[in-house]
Amino acid sequence: MEGFFNAKQVTMSKLMTVDILSSIKGAQPSEAVNKLFETIKNAEINSDNSNNLEKNSVSINDLRDDVVIESSIEEKQIIIENFPKEKNGYLVVSKVIEE
Amino acid sequence: MSSQILKIHQQLVNKTISCTALVKEKLALLSQNTNNTVNSLLSDKALKLAAKVDEKIVNGETIGLLEGIPFGIKDVYMVQGTTTTASSNLLKNYKSAYTATAIQKLLDAGAIPLVKENCDSFGHGSSSENTIFGAVKNAINPELVGGGSSGGSAVNVAKDYTVFSIGGDTGGSIRQPAGYNNIYGLKPTYGRISRYGIMAYASSTDCVGPIAKSVEDIRIVLNAMSGKDVKDQTTYASAEIDADAIKTSEGIKTVGYFKNFIESDAISPEIKADFLSAIEKIKAKGIEVKTLDFFESNTLVSTYYTLAMAETASNLSRLDGTNYGNRIEAENLKETYAVTRSENFSEETKRRIVGGNQVLSQGFSDAIYLKGLALRDAIANNFEDDFKKVDIILSPVTPNRPPKIGDSLKDPHAMYLSDAYTVGFSLGQLPTLTVPQGTETGLQITAAKQNDELVLKFANFLKDTI
Repeated sequence: MEGFFNAKQVTMSKLMTVDILSSIKGAQPSEAVNKLFETIKNAEINSDNSNNLEKNSVSINDLRDDVVIESSIEEKQIIIENFPKEKNGYLVVSKVIEE
Repeated sequence: MSSQILKIHQQLVNKTISCTALVKEKLALLSQNTNNTVNSLLSDKALKLAAKVDEKIVNGETIGLLEGIPFGIKDVYMVQGTTTTASSNLLKNYKSAYTATAIQKLLDAGAIPLVKENCDSFGHGSSSENTIFGAVKNAINPELVGGGSSGGSAVNVAKDYTVFSIGGDTGGSIRQPAGYNNIYGLKPTYGRISRYGIMAYASSTDCVGPIAKSVEDIRIVLNAMSGKDVKDQTTYASAEIDADAIKTSEGIKTVGYFKNFIESDAISPEIKADFLSAIEKIKAKGIEVKTLDFFESNTLVSTYYTLAMAETASNLSRLDGTNYGNRIEAENLKETYAVTRSENFSEETKRRIVGGNQVLSQGFSDAIYLKGLALRDAIANNFEDDFKKVDIILSPVTPNRPPKIGDSLKDPHAMYLSDAYTVGFSLGQLPTLTVPQGTETGLQITAAKQNDELVLKFANFLKDTI
């Protein structure tokens, strides 16, 4: 178990820790969850199982129309109401920094 | 128990009660919040709708079966203009901009929403203790948990605070609390009811379902909510289930159960003995019973949680406080995201998001996430083979009785393992109903995909058999 998961994970050729991947400060992999992953890693599986996932895919003949559906005025008002910060009629977001 | 919906419908039509009086009575009960089931009450809306129903009755107009029937909604469903918190700090002031399809169908049928119900935050839990509104107390013994994640919904039905409630089931979240509170709870076939407007936990197993006190009420509410929806492309068209079609057990010849569920060391001796006694009663009715082989509980639970965590890490990544939610400002965008999420998510939610990001990372996804998907396929294939041999699979709902409030939070891994009997059917996307019979926490009835009718049929048979 030890060393199987440490906080550092590799993604997109850049070393990132799970706290950054999750945008959660100080996050660490937990023992309770690692136990589940160990079970998966060690599970025996019959290799001739076909992939069922395609059974959930949507047929190309059954897609909804590619059209814009206008939201109601009430819906738009609530979306604005839910926005966390407003200043002088503008919706305020955090400053984006370049790295 | 007989149908509460039919009984109340008759009382309304006969003018034995008024809808306003009924709604006031239920709201008064809910406002006491005896079992921590209430996140918010929809009093004004409910009373306005009730007055309209009364007006129709006074004017001699016909009312539909669900018209005027008060119900509850797990607080993960969007209902336009109402607060939808997912029992989380992050969304404690979030207002729904639109209404979930399943709920809209009930509103269209005239049912009256009373309450947004307490649950585990974002569905993350099996006890309804992972919530900012206080642990839900069991309806039968308030020292025990209400079950989860749809605990508030199950307890409200059990206490008669709502006539029925709408829960959400990803890995057992309707069936387990229904079992813990001795009522009926259905997880329909995946895709039978639209998921549009339910806050996504794990999209590939999330199901909308009814919780009620009778098979008939489950049938009525299921019919009202089912159907294809362009807003959820995984939905399918289904035929209405007729009341007469589920009255007899005709066509059910063989029942199976998983040997390893019952022979496990983890099951309590009482639940095991009661389950086997129920099996004997079924045999005595001339139904053939077969034992079936299935995956080990550990494998089922690990497969389910691996996939569910991966999906929830992805689904909850949108919750960063930018467009909505309880944003906590920091020096820049990334810091704002991180502080908002760290301060507002519960420990259990953070544990699942981190777990999901672990398995989705390059270098780990092959060994764990992709293997989890392959195991899921193997589990689904196993079910397909089983339903060539049997019509129904019967199972306990839980290996043990409900834990005391406070105990589940101490040991998350033990809590995950307590879902051993429910998660497999979720991975198989099968219709499964908890009935309040057979063991202290009930029995689960499962049929092949899209055969929800057979599940209800067998439930009626069990009502007269055990």
